[in-house]
Amino acid sequence: MTYTDVLRKPAEARRRRSATLLAGCTLTALIALLAVVSLVWLPYDADDTSGGRLAGPGDGHLLGTDKLGRDLFTQLMTGSRIAVEAGLGSVTIAALIGVTLGVLAAFAQGWLDDTLAAFLDILIAFPTLLLAMLVVAARSATLGSAVLAIGLAQSAVVARLVRILVKRVLAQDYVTAARTSGTSWPRTVVGHVLPNIWPTLVVNLALQFGLAVLAEAGLSYLGLGAPPPNASWGRMLQEAQATFTTAPAGALAPGILLVVLVVGVNLVADGLRDTLDPATRRRRS
Amino acid sequence: MRLSTSTLYVTATTAGLALVLTACGGGSGAKSTSAGTWDKNATVNVGSLYEPQNLDNTAGGGQGVTEALNGNVYEGLFRLTDDGKVDKLLAQDYQASADGLTYTFTLRSGVKFHSGKELTSADVKYSLEKVLADDSQSARKSNLEVVKDIATPDAHTVKVTLSQKSISFVYNLSYVWIINSEAKELKTSEDGTGPYTLAKWTRGSALSLNRFAGYWGDAAANKQVVFHYYKDATALNNALLTNAVDVVTSEQSPDALAQFKSNQSYKVNDGNSTTKLLLAFNDKAKPFTDVKVRQAVSAAIDDQKLLESVWGGYGKLIGSMVPPTDPWYEDLTKVNAYDVTKAKKLLAEAGYAKGFSFTLDTPNYDPHPTAATFIKSQLAKVGITVKINTITPDEWYTKVYKNHDFTATLQEHVNDRDLVWYGNPDFYWGYDNKQVTQWVAQAEEATTTAQQTELLKKVNRQTAEDAASDWLYLYPQIVVANSKLSGYPLNGLNSQFYAYDIKKQG
Repeated sequence: MTYTDVLRKPAEARRRRSATLLAGCTLTALIALLAVVSLVWLPYDADDTSGGRLAGPGDGHLLGTDKLGRDLFTQLMTGSRIAVEAGLGSVTIAALIGVTLGVLAAFAQGWLDDTLAAFLDILIAFPTLLLAMLVVAARSATLGSAVLAIGLAQSAVVARLVRILVKRVLAQDYVTAARTSGTSWPRTVVGHVLPNIWPTLVVNLALQFGLAVLAEAGLSYLGLGAPPPNASWGRMLQEAQATFTTAPAGALAPGILLVVLVVGVNLVADGLRDTLDPATRRRRS
Repeated sequence: MRLSTSTLYVTATTAGLALVLTACGGGSGAKSTSAGTWDKNATVNVGSLYEPQNLDNTAGGGQGVTEALNGNVYEGLFRLTDDGKVDKLLAQDYQASADGLTYTFTLRSGVKFHSGKELTSADVKYSLEKVLADDSQSARKSNLEVVKDIATPDAHTVKVTLSQKSISFVYNLSYVWIINSEAKELKTSEDGTGPYTLAKWTRGSALSLNRFAGYWGDAAANKQVVFHYYKDATALNNALLTNAVDVVTSEQSPDALAQFKSNQSYKVNDGNSTTKLLLAFNDKAKPFTDVKVRQAVSAAIDDQKLLESVWGGYGKLIGSMVPPTDPWYEDLTKVNAYDVTKAKKLLAEAGYAKGFSFTLDTPNYDPHPTAATFIKSQLAKVGITVKINTITPDEWYTKVYKNHDFTATLQEHVNDRDLVWYGNPDFYWGYDNKQVTQWVAQAEEATTTAQQTELLKKVNRQTAEDAASDWLYLYPQIVVANSKLSGYPLNGLNSQFYAYDIKKQG
């Protein structure tokens, strides 16, 4: 989009931007609502196996039942809670470790800078799944292990981004001015660096949230995530695989919700980027 | 993969097999020669989930080795018929001494190895010693350790002396492949006496066998058999649907069967299996040291519903470790049958009126997680809290099987005649009943099979009443084949798959 385009249609650009954000928020909120409601109310008890094997939708079960006769919708609700927990947990770990490492790396000089940069690159190249398997082997297959593994893998991505962003800010004249006037580096970080990088950081974390949800589903699919009887969407997909031809709802439902949540957070990230990113904002206003 | 295939198992994977040559019992429609003409030079494509790790059955090759090679490429002195009886194969005759300690075998003459060499007593000695060797991982090794001496008075006579009486000796010999004593590289090649020779093994994909022209018996009914290996059951079923394979050795889920049942081009066969799903308590760990607690847990779980959940309408309930095909079978499903009221009463008597909590070590592959989930929900109704701990097969082997570091676990036991393991107090489940141990020992030293059967029936009943484990159900054995095929084994129990009688319509 050229400069004049934007000048001519600022209102339209804003509308599109807010439409993306609105759609993203709606989809995400839908899942969040399911997750929150599951904390206080579920259609059936999670252990209730009274439903009959692979019953179809209807007859007291909105989406039918699984092999053991458990209500699918109940499992989907529990699954949404696990997905949201996995996303939030991983992103929190990624943010804490990533930002700390990234800032340190940005301040480092010479060989330490090179070493840290190389270390982050290696960490990024290390497959998340393999890392997860190692973590699960060291601990045990629980949701916590999966979240830890995903968070660790993502912290490298976040750290690399933060390092670059911080370096860019540190090169600015006003930072040089602040530092020559004797401001300590922790104060520089809090006062000058973080306020300047957070819009980009938040957008990236939102994207990481979507990836984390997918990664958790993948790990649970492989039996490395939340142990049974927790109904993670990934586990539900795995269990429904053998019965896909006879009872497709079991695989379709968690699949669709997974898509809804991931598309939702990606749209939110898109919308946020357009709204928050100083570069975009400057160009567009 | 099924853990049970590995050598740690109990009674090896081979017994009770549907022997194709012998007429099979009920429901053997596929065995009858079909009316149409069949192609003597057909290639039969077999679909399987169990690729061998190597081709040596004393080197931990897994159940795939047995499936592809046993009876097809390699033969033993004996083989087992469909009803569990022992037939002579490479042994033409044998005699046991009055004290039951010396067995003299006369070998069939005119038997040639695939390499061309004639079978002699030296090969039999070599093969037995190979199973008994220090580095042997054969599942039958411990059963055959009664062998004290193997003598070869002439080229067609083998004389085996035992250190103690062993009524199962001849039966156990049906697991010993007779291999050319001069053969090398047995992990990747073969030299047996069977109706097929190994043509080609493409790792990760297929293993093909060609009819052996110099076979001593009736030639195979087809020219070539190709085992195609798949990693997952869905891909395997699709291969059958697209005619990439003609028969699937063992279906692992009932849900794919609908598409074959409704289609005239396929036949779904429901045979007998010996694979049992166990909730194995650690009988040496609290609270399962208490018989009443074990009985209560057994009574609190609705096995019928679990079987229905996992297998649809297939499979059977069992009340003990003994499947109907074992000679000492008795219907014990009434012992500790599903009865929640009784379970609660037993728990109260044991001092656990308010229930308790335990960790269930659950292998991470089907059907264990499903069963664990079900057990958790059932036991919650009597106040018992189950914590499910999923573990890998490796972890299971180390933690549960070797270190006995568990409270309760789930495991499938594939073998026939594996009741005798309740006579070993050091086995992983830690069931220690002196009387049972004695009965098992006496049964092995019995003079007649009637005595043996009688003693093992006592063991059967005692272990069932003690709820030594909870035997959840007996798996079905489902073979699905193209309708053009006939003569394939129906009870290809857990691993064997004799291919030489398979006829394919031209």
